[in-house]
Amino acid sequence: MMGGRTLNLATGLLVKTLDFSSFAAQSWFAAVRPPFRLRDIVRQIHFIAVEGLWIIVLCVCAAAMVTILEASFHMRLLIQNDAMVPGFAAMLILRELGAVVMALLVTSRAGAGMAAEVASMKITEQIDALRMLGLEPIRFLVAPRLIAGIIAGATMSLIANCVCLIAAMGVSILKLGSTAGLFMSMSRPFVTGQDLCFAMIKGAAFGAVIPLFACYWGLRSRAGAEGVGLATTNAVVSTSIAIIIIDFILSYLFSYFY
Amino acid sequence: MIEFEGLVKKFGERTVLKGIDLKISAGEIVFILGTSGTGKSVLLKTLVGLLRADAGRIRIGGIDVTDISEEDYLPIRRRCGMVFQHPALFDSLTVLENVAYGLMKHERLSLDQARPRAHECLEMVGLGGQDLESLETKLPTQISYGMQKRVSLARTVAVGPEVLLFDEPTTGLDPVTTKQINRLIQELSRKLKTTAIVVSHDMDCALEIADRIVVLDQGLIVAQGSVAEILRSTHPLVVDFLVEAKAREVTA
Repeated sequence: MMGGRTLNLATGLLVKTLDFSSFAAQSWFAAVRPPFRLRDIVRQIHFIAVEGLWIIVLCVCAAAMVTILEASFHMRLLIQNDAMVPGFAAMLILRELGAVVMALLVTSRAGAGMAAEVASMKITEQIDALRMLGLEPIRFLVAPRLIAGIIAGATMSLIANCVCLIAAMGVSILKLGSTAGLFMSMSRPFVTGQDLCFAMIKGAAFGAVIPLFACYWGLRSRAGAEGVGLATTNAVVSTSIAIIIIDFILSYLFSYFY
Repeated sequence: MIEFEGLVKKFGERTVLKGIDLKISAGEIVFILGTSGTGKSVLLKTLVGLLRADAGRIRIGGIDVTDISEEDYLPIRRRCGMVFQHPALFDSLTVLENVAYGLMKHERLSLDQARPRAHECLEMVGLGGQDLESLETKLPTQISYGMQKRVSLARTVAVGPEVLLFDEPTTGLDPVTTKQINRLIQELSRKLKTTAIVVSHDMDCALEIADRIVVLDQGLIVAQGSVAEILRSTHPLVVDFLVEAKAREVTA
């Protein structure tokens, strides 16, 4: 009984994975094939990055400040010295915190929004109407979102990391008695420009995953309000899991360059 | 000429279409009648590849389209305009952009270049006149459901289809608008010289404008013929439809 259910679950997961892989491959192919729908790409960048920027800035600032305060508290408790905290914090922010927190926030806002939008289009036959006009939904809906996600992801990762570092520096000055110069000089041995590049690569990868999952679940939505809700939930959950897995893979690969 | 030959469509264990054989000549107005869930919309969507047949053949203009790829289906769909049960307007676009959308994408026209043709189509569906300028800038959610249906029809005819498909075009409309839409279907089909396939459960409308009526029950064609032939039919479902239509006429 249990074995049968496990087998069914595994088969279902495999079928979904293959289906998503095929969808992702078609989307990438559509995204790199001209003509590019610039107006749609710009509109999507505005939706993903510009409209949600203040939320990202606010949250990554808070995350960076908590990180530096917690690190300082524990360093003082253990070794009575928090001189290394700015360096560690800068490294943690650039290598992990900035891009991952940004991506999870974008998933909950833009990813959920995209999934709900595409699912609504599906259940009100707008997707069929597109197909009847001789237009491929992947090319017209997914490709612009994918390109926009990559651009917005890389850019927002850069912004989020810079804001994080500034917030961390602010807390160091106000709370740990450091100075801007000291923060910079303590950070320099730990982080380089390469870290910022890697953070942008991570941002771009996360930015690609968000619209892919959102559109995949949206296009496979079932009818009714429940169907749209389920598509949105599935999109947010699967994107969040994918972001954590991709983060691990990329961090592992980047570790060869440090 | 559109031809279905032994068409079968299944959803899991459930067989919705159980071997449909039907030929529709160019320029004909064919009504497909049947109760809910009998496979009428599925038949229409299978014709244009929005759903794929499990068995049987479909030919459009002599071309077998049953197994062609999604990419090869795109030009065929452009020849078959479809008006859906929902207006299915793109809700982020204005009325004008909706009507002009197909032209802008296929003919590579700007909105300004596509505007005259879009206006022509809006006028064709009775949305012209003095209010056109204020209407064209509105979003679909800002106009009535009946108007949305008309805009949807305008969008469909804008790309110049050879076949017009209507999936329950009058569902959710009041009797007056229903009559107007039915008249519009007939006028457009005659004016544009297109073949029209109308999926409906409205016998009144079918008797008024159809060249041929096909009655579907449990995934099979149970009766078909001209209006006169259908009026003489003794099939219980056809009789039920006719009695119900007569009762409505008397009530009215």
